[in-house]
Amino acid sequence: MSQTTVQKPIDKILAELKAKGIIAKAESESRGSLEVTKDKIIEIAKIMKELGFDHVIAVTGIDFPEQQKIQVIYHVSSYSVEDLQKIIFAIKTYVDYKDPSLPSLTQIWGSAWTGEKETYEMLGVRFEGHPQLSRLFLPEDFEGVYPLRKDFKIKLEGLFVDKPG
Amino acid sequence: MIGNLLSLIRFYFFYPSFFVVIIFPGLLFTGILLLTTIWFERKAAARVQMRVGPYYASKKLGGYLQLIADALKFVFSEVIIPAGVNETLFVIAPILLLLVSILPFAVIPVSVIPQSGSVFSIYYHDFYDPNVGYGVLAGIFTCYNLLLILALESIYPIFVIFLAWVTNNRFAIVGAVRETFLSVSYDALILIATLSVAIEYHTLDLAVIVQKGIPGVIVNPIAAFIFIVGMLIGSSRFPFDIVEAETELVIGPYTEYSGFLFVLTMAGSYVGNFIYSLVFADLFLGGWYPFSGLPGAAFMTFKAVLLLFFSVFLRSVYGRYRIDQALRGSWKYLFPLSLISLITGTLVGYLWL
Amino acid sequence: MEVEVVPVQGELNVGPQHPGSGHMRILVKLNGDIVEDCELDVGYVHRAVEKLGENRNYMHLIPLVERPAILDSIHMNMGYVMAVEKILNVDVPERALYLRSFAAEVNRIASHLYGLGILGIFIGHSTAFMWGFGDREVWLQILEALTGARVTNSYIIPGGVRRDLTPSIIEMTKKAIVYMRKKLKDWEKIFLKNPTIMDRLQNVGVMTREQAIEWGAVGPNLRASGVNFDVRKAEPYAAYSKLDFEIPVYKEGDGYARTLVRFEEMEQSMRILEQIIKDIPEGPILADRFLKQIPPIRMKKWVQGQGRIVLPGYYASFRPPRGEAAARVEASRGELFYYVVSDGSPKPYRLRMITPSYRAIYVFKNLCKGARYADIVSIYGSLDYFPPEADR
Repeated sequence: MSQTTVQKPIDKILAELKAKGIIAKAESESRGSLEVTKDKIIEIAKIMKELGFDHVIAVTGIDFPEQQKIQVIYHVSSYSVEDLQKIIFAIKTYVDYKDPSLPSLTQIWGSAWTGEKETYEMLGVRFEGHPQLSRLFLPEDFEGVYPLRKDFKIKLEGLFVDKPG
Repeated sequence: MIGNLLSLIRFYFFYPSFFVVIIFPGLLFTGILLLTTIWFERKAAARVQMRVGPYYASKKLGGYLQLIADALKFVFSEVIIPAGVNETLFVIAPILLLLVSILPFAVIPVSVIPQSGSVFSIYYHDFYDPNVGYGVLAGIFTCYNLLLILALESIYPIFVIFLAWVTNNRFAIVGAVRETFLSVSYDALILIATLSVAIEYHTLDLAVIVQKGIPGVIVNPIAAFIFIVGMLIGSSRFPFDIVEAETELVIGPYTEYSGFLFVLTMAGSYVGNFIYSLVFADLFLGGWYPFSGLPGAAFMTFKAVLLLFFSVFLRSVYGRYRIDQALRGSWKYLFPLSLISLITGTLVGYLWL
Repeated sequence: MEVEVVPVQGELNVGPQHPGSGHMRILVKLNGDIVEDCELDVGYVHRAVEKLGENRNYMHLIPLVERPAILDSIHMNMGYVMAVEKILNVDVPERALYLRSFAAEVNRIASHLYGLGILGIFIGHSTAFMWGFGDREVWLQILEALTGARVTNSYIIPGGVRRDLTPSIIEMTKKAIVYMRKKLKDWEKIFLKNPTIMDRLQNVGVMTREQAIEWGAVGPNLRASGVNFDVRKAEPYAAYSKLDFEIPVYKEGDGYARTLVRFEEMEQSMRILEQIIKDIPEGPILADRFLKQIPPIRMKKWVQGQGRIVLPGYYASFRPPRGEAAARVEASRGELFYYVVSDGSPKPYRLRMITPSYRAIYVFKNLCKGARYADIVSIYGSLDYFPPEADR
């Protein structure tokens, strides 16, 4: 048992998650991540909120066209619990191209509002239960076109690149 | 022959109705004063704000000709009339506005005419006022001029609302609604302040009030304060710039105007401010006493111009109030104060004057 | 005493062509003077930084990520470079860390003065506007002497910084601190203690502590509502662990508290600058790993002669190892978050950038409900919302 060393906050979080049967890993003293499927995400979000993580920093969507999947990552952190203020925890989940919809986490964390709207319009992931899922940044003629997917190519001019070495 | 012609011209030129209303302090003087006031506003604000202000147009005069350049530019700018408005009314509205605010010049007394020794003495008997004992240098001689001036000035807000309605713009309507609310409050304040002074001196004639010899600010300072604040609210000077709040309403009722019509609308509020300053100089600052004739007129106008410059200077010091704060302030705090000044005026009037 | 200012009903379009709306559109549903609903239409200056991030090299992205908030560009630069350094696994020398903090604090003061100027003009106080921009000149000249540009400096590169500190810059900074302390007293007299400003800002846009946490506010807006959170203290980066400073926290959560937090942060920044000038250690300004790759002739002429870095050839299109990194800094307006995913090619696979104004969109929308119409610009100015930074 650890009687001589003080347990770091991230290790405490990992231990508590393990007690509930969730596998998570720590990449460093202040970064952690866990992977989850989309039917369990609301449960996990509630557990994380009880542990002290009270706001969402970012909702990121990453497109993997070879595997026909879109990965959605929620970075959460904490304002009110002192020990957890420096930890950023990443909750990663996948959606398929054929069924790009996820349950929305705005009921649990209100600060996911803007991020989910942006991920919807840039990548086409629908969040069920979001109070106002509509266009945020893009102009009107972008309905049905999702710019951040890899198959949306932007026209580039020629780049001059120095040969390395 | 020439001598005859010259004396005829001189007779009509110095006739007080012409002189006061058109030359001094009437139309021409007000036009030049308008440019000077705006020049002063920009220059004083610039000095406070660590910059130079108008500079290049005439370096030796301190940039004064910049204002004339601006006025000429506006005169030659294109007047854009939006579709869907009644064009005749659109063009007439600012003209009516300026007209109404200039009207009181006809009745303000600016000086007295002694029986001899002044260039105006030939008109002594035409403009003789039995209550004062001298002739009165005014456009039209009446002995109820205080009442007339206040009545004429209080129709001004109606024309502002008319102007905003004609332009068919939502921001103008919001500005006009604010003007409606404010006009009731500041009018009440000014009326009660002046009536308390009128009761104190037992007369409604400005010339009598001045010739009594005691400035109003000594016998009723509360009324003086109320009058100044009411004047600031009425002519939209900071901190009561609410009607024309630029960052909220894109200049309020005057949004759709451009070119020459815009100059007319802007001039209306400055002229109103000047009229109130003339009345203040007569009521509270002692007017032209102890001079008479032309020096008296110059003395009184000088005091009014000082007050005008002061109220324009406030732009660089204060922010802008919200409308409900201005209304609450004037009805909750200033209105009872004006009633107190009314009581003070009555008491002092019957015990002393 | 309740004052009822009634009925003008309908929708007002405080649109992009408006002196008080910035680069966005605010659709306001008015009932009399009270705002019933407020719809923010952002995206007028959306420049697709994230999509372009997948089409540029890592070094080419440094000027790109600075542009969303050009008046705060040192912080935007620093967050991105910190994320890239985590992937590359590079250690930054001590002197470079102190120089990064120096530039960051100078930029924080300049950005707060800009924010106060904009707040002043929205409330109608043109003197605050002119003074804010006039006083900002002093700090921009320091940045120009240090980095070569007034805004969009591109000062921080992976491994260190580009230019070194000279004695004349230290002199300029000392004079600037004396000047600014004198000027802040004048600011207090004409702006903070001005009755019109206090009336416009107190009890306007009140955000309680729970609401601030629930809506995800950042920066001075969060600290004015009673939450003691600053990335410089929670997760120290770039020499902040060795410097001594305080974080102002207020409890009221209205516009006046937010303005006071910004004022005091300027004073704390000046304290940090004085400490950096005293304590900065000697040493190289770029990590050894990259310094060794500069050819010897250029090394002698530029690096040792004038204290400037010429970029080594490795930078042109380096391939970092596979991995991902998340880094955050405390920009002037709040917490700035970068998330970079690399798959081994010279261009990032995904660049995610969350700016503080982006997180203020939800806060702004919620605060405007139920406020008076004239309070919208007051809330806008006190939140220090900067539309190009939110749209990226």
